[in-house]
Amino acid sequence: MLRLAGVRAGYRRTEVLHGVDLVVPPGAAVALLGANGAGKSTLLRVAAGLLPATGGSVWFGEERIDRLTTHQRTRRGLCLIPEGRAIFRPLTVRQNLAMQVGGKQVDDAVDRAVAAFPMLGDRLGQVAGTLSGGQQQMLAVARALVTDPALVLADELSVGLAPVVVDEIFEAVAALRAAGRSLLIVEQYVDRALAVADYVYILHKGRIAFVGEPAQCRADDVYRQYLGSVA
Amino acid sequence: MRALVPFVIVGITTGAVYALASMGLVLTYTTSGVFNFAHGAIGMFATFVFYQLRVAADWPTWLAVAVAVLVVAPAMGVVVDRVLLTRLQGASPATYVVVSLGLLVALQSAAVAIFGGETRQVAAIFPTRGFEVSGVRVGYDQTIVVAIAVVAGLALAAFFRRTHLGLATRAVVGDRDLTELVGTDARAVTTFSWVLGSAFAALSGVLFAPVVGLDAVLLTLLVLQAFGAAVVGRLRSLPLTNLGAYGIAIVAAISTKYVATNRALIGLPSAMPFIALFLVLVVSPKGSFAAVSGEGSGRAGGGSGGGGGGRGGRRTTLPMRTLVPVVAGAAVLPAVLNGSQLLVASTAVAFVAIFASLSLLVGLSRQLSLCHAVFVVFGATTLSHLLSAGVPYVAALLLSALVLVPVGALVAIPTIRLSGLFLALGTFAFGALAQNLLYNNSFAFGRDAQVNLARPSLFAGDTAFYYFILAVVTVAVLGVELVRITRLGRILAAIGDSPAAVQSIGVSPTASRVMVFCLAAFVAGIGGGLLGSLIGSVSTLSFDFFQSLIWLTVLVTAGAATLGGSVLAALLLIAVPSVFTSPTVVQWQPVAFGVAAIVFAQSPNGIAGYLRRPDFPELARRSAWRTDRRRATERRAGAILASDGRV
Repeated sequence: MLRLAGVRAGYRRTEVLHGVDLVVPPGAAVALLGANGAGKSTLLRVAAGLLPATGGSVWFGEERIDRLTTHQRTRRGLCLIPEGRAIFRPLTVRQNLAMQVGGKQVDDAVDRAVAAFPMLGDRLGQVAGTLSGGQQQMLAVARALVTDPALVLADELSVGLAPVVVDEIFEAVAALRAAGRSLLIVEQYVDRALAVADYVYILHKGRIAFVGEPAQCRADDVYRQYLGSVA
Repeated sequence: MRALVPFVIVGITTGAVYALASMGLVLTYTTSGVFNFAHGAIGMFATFVFYQLRVAADWPTWLAVAVAVLVVAPAMGVVVDRVLLTRLQGASPATYVVVSLGLLVALQSAAVAIFGGETRQVAAIFPTRGFEVSGVRVGYDQTIVVAIAVVAGLALAAFFRRTHLGLATRAVVGDRDLTELVGTDARAVTTFSWVLGSAFAALSGVLFAPVVGLDAVLLTLLVLQAFGAAVVGRLRSLPLTNLGAYGIAIVAAISTKYVATNRALIGLPSAMPFIALFLVLVVSPKGSFAAVSGEGSGRAGGGSGGGGGGRGGRRTTLPMRTLVPVVAGAAVLPAVLNGSQLLVASTAVAFVAIFASLSLLVGLSRQLSLCHAVFVVFGATTLSHLLSAGVPYVAALLLSALVLVPVGALVAIPTIRLSGLFLALGTFAFGALAQNLLYNNSFAFGRDAQVNLARPSLFAGDTAFYYFILAVVTVAVLGVELVRITRLGRILAAIGDSPAAVQSIGVSPTASRVMVFCLAAFVAGIGGGLLGSLIGSVSTLSFDFFQSLIWLTVLVTAGAATLGGSVLAALLLIAVPSVFTSPTVVQWQPVAFGVAAIVFAQSPNGIAGYLRRPDFPELARRSAWRTDRRRATERRAGAILASDGRV
């Protein structure tokens, strides 16, 4: 579904990714793990077109997309939910959903978002910036549900959220997986990510240090080497 | 009461034009985050095209209007957005202000250079016949202008409320990256908003031209008066902006009735928009003018803070390596210059003080002062009055500059707590206000619109006074450089980067900012006094407030961060034009400054930043290497010769 081949990227003169190869097979869930500063978010930003790749190529299905703009990639079915609260703060919840679906079939989108997150239903007219952190994240994640993307890239969905809310968010992720979407998940709760994932990539200092299945990843040495002694 | 009705009608007509202009301004600001100081200039330029098509090319009026409003202005909007602004993504608000000021200066000067500076009469667009409402005559043209403004306002409101594109324009300014992520072409949306805003600017210009005539300066500034209305609307709300436009225009029109009998208030009506602008900024509670820009750009690229970022390495010593050669060079100049050249050199030296004071604000603490000419003018007029009162020269010079310290505080205190853009707007309003209201007063120019200044009796000769200026300016510049390397300088630089961080270490950003404003006013006042004495007289026309804008563009071009930049700015502004004296060059020179300011807006230190001091040790090493190599070659050649070619 998504294939990165030898991707290099960085900010100004600092190169962050030194030739990364990564594949997200159709319908599979891939967890991208690594320490802070390993380049996980940068990789997602490159895939979505927010940051240009300085080398290598990015493929989406059969098409090479590294020259396309972000909105063109989105229209082809790639959906990045960036870190932080990816919502339009000055707009209302309803207007946010309208932006997510590009102004078409807004009522349908609202219905589907409310079905997934009933809490949003009471707040359609509220300015999104005044929602609680959890509600804001639900609104952000709703985009992956209402736009039927082929691939969802999710960056640290659980940051700063209460465990109960994280549960709800990950229910939505599970629903996406059940609906056959391809997923690429960056997550600080390693176990949660491993529970959803079919494959695991570990990024270490801008290079892929480990590729394998979650079970292999749980092996002690991999954990110790790259992720600290979380287990 | 009845007597006021005609004034109210005039006010409503003017208000309609203000409303159109200010709605365009608010539109581009809310959708692109750029407060377009050149909004009026775009309207003015399109109006000139309209005039040329209608008069010179003899097109039908409706077609000329349509082309100017629907083709020329939108095209300018596209150029501004795609050429000037794209490369500025994520830059600081101050950078955007500099760019749009550069555009203003460039467009206005270009219009004067192309079309000439004189005011042209523009024939009415709509029938001027009229009808009577309870004894007061109302023109059809007035009615139509108001109708156009109302319809345009309603259409704009509907666009924002009802259409998806309207929603998208609001989304883009909130978060550009996210707009792209949800599949909307953010660039196209921004460009569209520039197209729309520019069309509004052109429409207001075309409708206003028959009333005030077609004049590059006048029309640019008249639309600038829309700033007042836009600020009443907090730069966001279209209904409030409309209310502000009509309110300001009606009050201004009514005030013409009363000021006719009072000389001192003669400038009041035309100053009304700026009074409104200044008052709203002053009385607004903190936080009501949070800038829309920057909110969305913060996320991108890990905060690539454009102009605010690297301001060169921070120095800890005085820049003696610049100062000593420059002063030494300046000291020998009188020996090689003739009389008129010496006068130019004196002017340039005095301007170094003015630019140094401006660089304290612009370069060090990223505060834009658009009223620097006021400081210079008041420095000169106050000096003149003190000298007439018999105060000795040096004491008078210092006193006149001291008088400007509270003036600097007066400008800075109310607006400084707002963000960078609003400080620029506040100083801009103060500049216009001072020129319209204060220059005529007896403490400034008085009735003659001119004051005379003597030189100190010991330094009355041209050469002697040159050295006097050089000495005073050297001291002033040393003072400015001292500020740069002391704690205050570091704090100011830190404020430019992050006011919150400065607060967190227990320093009040406001106090430091006000202090530097006062100091800048002081030094600029000294520069003004010296300039006045040099020329012998200063008139209301010597330093109009447009000069403040040109100075800013020149300083940004030359380099606002170092002493070298200030010296270079003075040379660019004063010395270069005296070398190239052909009228064409003189006319196009401000255009070049405007364009250059746009180009250099993002460079931390303008041209000066690109000039490298020759690295003498390195040069010596290289030449020594060459010498060594030459000697080695000679030795080898000698050996070959000595061996008779048998190697």
